[in-house]
Amino acid sequence: MKMRIPILKLKETLIVSIQVELDDQTALQFQEDLLNELHKTSARGVVIDLTPIDFIDSFIAKVLGDVIHMTSLMGAKVVITGIQPSVAITLIELGIRLENVITALDLENRLEKLTRELEA
Amino acid sequence: MEHRSSIDINTEWDIVAARQLGRNEAKSTGFGTVDQARITTAISELARTIYLYAGKGRIEIQSITVGQRVGLVIIASDEGPGIADLQKVMTDGYTTSGGLGAGMPGVKRLMDDFRIETEVGVGTTITATKWLH
Amino acid sequence: MNEVMRNSIFDNIETITTRWIERMKDHSDERFLDIMPAPVVATMSREFTELMTSNLSTKEQVDKDRLDEFTKKIIHFGWSIKFINRAIDAFSSVIYELFFENGILTDKNLREGVNIFASWINPLRESIIEEYSVKWERTDSLQKIALQELSASLIPVFEKISVMPLVGTIDTERAKLIMENLLEGVVKQRAEVVLLDITGVPVVDTMVAHHIIQAADAVRLVGSKCMLVGIRPEIAQTIVTLGINLTDFSTTSTLRRGMQKALQMTGRTIVEEE
Repeated sequence: MKMRIPILKLKETLIVSIQVELDDQTALQFQEDLLNELHKTSARGVVIDLTPIDFIDSFIAKVLGDVIHMTSLMGAKVVITGIQPSVAITLIELGIRLENVITALDLENRLEKLTRELEA
Repeated sequence: MEHRSSIDINTEWDIVAARQLGRNEAKSTGFGTVDQARITTAISELARTIYLYAGKGRIEIQSITVGQRVGLVIIASDEGPGIADLQKVMTDGYTTSGGLGAGMPGVKRLMDDFRIETEVGVGTTITATKWLH
Repeated sequence: MNEVMRNSIFDNIETITTRWIERMKDHSDERFLDIMPAPVVATMSREFTELMTSNLSTKEQVDKDRLDEFTKKIIHFGWSIKFINRAIDAFSSVIYELFFENGILTDKNLREGVNIFASWINPLRESIIEEYSVKWERTDSLQKIALQELSASLIPVFEKISVMPLVGTIDTERAKLIMENLLEGVVKQRAEVVLLDITGVPVVDTMVAHHIIQAADAVRLVGSKCMLVGIRPEIAQTIVTLGINLTDFSTTSTLRRGMQKALQMTGRTIVEEE
């Protein structure tokens, strides 16, 4: 069984809302899909919303970190929104700092800023 | 009241099953959302360690009561290669799988009590407990 | 022997009480008996001797209700466990003295007598101490709860800006609670900047700093910014002396300056009315 995470495009931004618990395969598949989509659409920004996710372990954190790194290599910016308090605490306690990540409280808030930044 | 359930870890999917079981157990024991996330994450790390290094093993989840205290014990056991250098495994950033190297020291930080018993060629048993405050 | 000893204690209970009080007064470092009004001392002493002798008649067990009642009073009056211990010792020696005076105890039956008396007094001593420590633990956990209730709430001061004033010593348990309150508050209040005010934290050591850094990191992950305000000179000194690295997030000396900065960060400023 393989699940795919839908990737939407809004102007120059790709929007991803991760609604399901990520297993390893889905996470890796998502990484590939996103990079392909980025290449195809030449979008300049990516927003990944994690609001429904209630836990992230070190594997998923690594996949996310890799996605962010790869995206920036392709010249686009990633913003992560909606990390839950419990998820943030567990990540920090695990020792995962996700140092170079841009974060925002919610999708709406960030989308505005990102569009403005891209337009400028 | 003691309650015990377990999941055999043979495939990657069993990692998902183990953490789902853990989340449910944590919830029904009465843990809050943050502790639920801690327990689920710890189980995920432990199950993945079994899958990556031993191939197969088992995760047991058990609710316990000691005096006034209620807690959840996670026992991860395998008959894999064992750990030759425990100190290295418990060091942040040490990895042989290309991961983040946060697994074992991370689990120790997420839980309240943490114990490893391991013997090279025999296997590893990790017992980690979270207490309800 | 058993019977004789018991009867002797009951017959002389008044003498025992008086002597015991005299003896306790000799200990100059404990002033509880002086501070307490005489009638209270009398009742307490009476109760104490009665309690000490109560299991001579029931023999096997200390009267639970009575013991409970008595320990409550002791704790209320602030008798220390050391004092209680001494009181029991004093009580024992008064009894021995009396036994020798009455000729109940002689050099010949000393060993037997001591054994019998020890079997009365030891369980009592144990259960008093145990009862005392149970009470103490309960008080301790109640105080902990009280401390938790008092700690760390996040206040939404302006739109997008919240403040958490921290007061008192921060230990690991409290740090966890602070972190949870902080993050849940930030998300609920949609705070883009949160000021952590440590004016009321007496000591910032490596452990406390570590917790603060972790909290700030977690705040960053949920999509907000954390600012550390209220850094007093001595705190700045310890931070640098201990080699704690706080360069990753912004800090200011006072809440006021932090607030100005926070307004700036959210694109606003305070303007005075003409």
